[in-house]
Amino acid sequence: MDFTLSDEQRMVQRTVREFIQKEVMPYEQQVLRNEREGRPGISREEIKELQLKAKALGFWGINTPEEYGGANLGAIMSALITMELGRTFVPFSFGGSADNILYYCNEEQKKRYLLPVINGERRSCFAITEPGAGSDARSIRMSAVKDGDHYVLNGEKIFITNGNEADFAMVFAVTDKEKGANGGVTCFLVDRDMGWRSEYIPTMGEWGPASLVFENVRVPEENILGELGKGFELGMKWIGQGRWAIPARAVGAAERLLQMGIDYAKTRVTFGKPIAERQAIQWMIADSAVEIEAAKWIVLRAAWMVENGMDARHQSSIAKLYGSVMANQVVDRVLQIHGGMGYTKELPIERWYREARLWRIFEGTDEIQKRTISRNLLKGHVKVGELL
Amino acid sequence: MDILVLMKQTFDTEEKIVLQSGAVSEEGVQFIINPYDEYAIEEAVKLKEEFGGQVTLLTVGPKRTEEAIRTALAMGADQAVRIDPGDEPLDEFGLSKILAAAIRGRKYDLILGGNMAIDTGSGQVALRVAEELEIPHVSAITKLTLQEKTAIVERDVEGDVEVVEVGLPFLATAQQGLNEPRYPSLPGIMKAKKKPLEQLTIADLALSEDELRPRTTVTAQFYPAKKQAGQLLSGELNEQVSQLAQLLRNEAKVI
Repeated sequence: MDFTLSDEQRMVQRTVREFIQKEVMPYEQQVLRNEREGRPGISREEIKELQLKAKALGFWGINTPEEYGGANLGAIMSALITMELGRTFVPFSFGGSADNILYYCNEEQKKRYLLPVINGERRSCFAITEPGAGSDARSIRMSAVKDGDHYVLNGEKIFITNGNEADFAMVFAVTDKEKGANGGVTCFLVDRDMGWRSEYIPTMGEWGPASLVFENVRVPEENILGELGKGFELGMKWIGQGRWAIPARAVGAAERLLQMGIDYAKTRVTFGKPIAERQAIQWMIADSAVEIEAAKWIVLRAAWMVENGMDARHQSSIAKLYGSVMANQVVDRVLQIHGGMGYTKELPIERWYREARLWRIFEGTDEIQKRTISRNLLKGHVKVGELL
Repeated sequence: MDILVLMKQTFDTEEKIVLQSGAVSEEGVQFIINPYDEYAIEEAVKLKEEFGGQVTLLTVGPKRTEEAIRTALAMGADQAVRIDPGDEPLDEFGLSKILAAAIRGRKYDLILGGNMAIDTGSGQVALRVAEELEIPHVSAITKLTLQEKTAIVERDVEGDVEVVEVGLPFLATAQQGLNEPRYPSLPGIMKAKKKPLEQLTIADLALSEDELRPRTTVTAQFYPAKKQAGQLLSGELNEQVSQLAQLLRNEAKVI
């Protein structure tokens, strides 16, 4: 057993950390200021500029295959990089990536959807969730009825990340009611100018998803992604990829937050002593450190399994569940350590607090992860105390 | 244009200094490329990109130094030489003998180093190497312009700029402001391991015991004294002045 990273992994980790520190973190005050005033924290142009700076260093398309100009670094490196990105709340990630299911595009579709997304010219959104179908995605209702060489889409999608900014949507609709999720759901690539509307949904955090409305939206047959009736499988593939990226980001955020808590505890003096000397504070620090350590290795093990072609679904669910809960606990403690200061909008802690709450909900709630984990055990897909 | 770069791996500037039985503890400490040496590496890589040639790094340090070497190779240096000091107690005198010995016989037009190492801050080794090799040296440079057989160099002299013309080959040490060091690139990182890294020991350099013997000894290492709270004088101005004079004479004992 060997927990050492390779020289390359360490160097990548260090380089990304430096890049985030020197290039991205300087935007933090601006992001806080803009968001307080109800504007996007950082503009699309500023993100693009940062992405191009990173591209010049080769940090582009971290998971994108080389034939599309990506670096294709594999899951472990991705997890390490995502942890570093998580150290700032500036919503930045490296460019050159596309949704994993867009690789199921046919040659013609690749030119119109996959490549422009990789090159940052077009933006996609993933639209499966409906008002009556979230974690129970199998019960989606949006209908797609064949009419000549077109399908006519009717229905509503909700909580769609980037739904208000996207140029096209990957929409999941029912093409065969009888079969439902078992062969009756199809994924369509639907351009905005085909006629769907979106509306921004204000949330507790700075993440603003949208609801999408489809009223007799006509989509040409050739815009089916993958195969007719095979959409549900694609949807699950898309969701699967986020399972360990979210906790990886959470680990980075929690580490930065804990450091903020430690620094503050050493300087804030009450009743003649820094609060760091109080056991109540020390326990918060210790509990946070333990949970971060655990989450980090759970995430890295899931990534290691993915990289080695193993079935990582169980481990990824554990990572998503534990990482999200961990980050919520850490940010709560760090806010508590800061007392009233932590509650103000002068510091980013309350912002992180609001953002972290989402991590326990989107892309599989805590409860869905628990359901997956326990089912795997109850059905015997995974055994307790299995030999490693 | 073949360039040698003298590099040292130092404490991360963000690390806390911990003294343990009179010496600075290296336990659990992160190490980085000495920031001034980073300027030297950047300048060398820039010159190579403009004029061609090879950039060779030279460093004296234990095995852990290889991480700094790989980073410098990822920034664009072509090859490296690491000289393992073993358990030999060394100071700037011996180090410069070692580096000079490792350099002799190598082809070079220019040697670059950092103005000083941020850990010990002595700023001696590079200049001593130039003296050993009997080539000119220019310290604390902020600009370097190569001509045919000479270079025009700007150096920082206590806030002023001195412009010097110097013949090749020569040695220069980099001051802050010379350039903005690049990040290692991703392809650079992936290639770094494949670049040649020559491993030498002191024994390979055939130096005499006397050449290695330290000329200096560190007698003590200690934390700077904690700053005392100041004393506020009160009363009429005249009284304050006489109080101050008394304190300076009797307590501070400076007048």
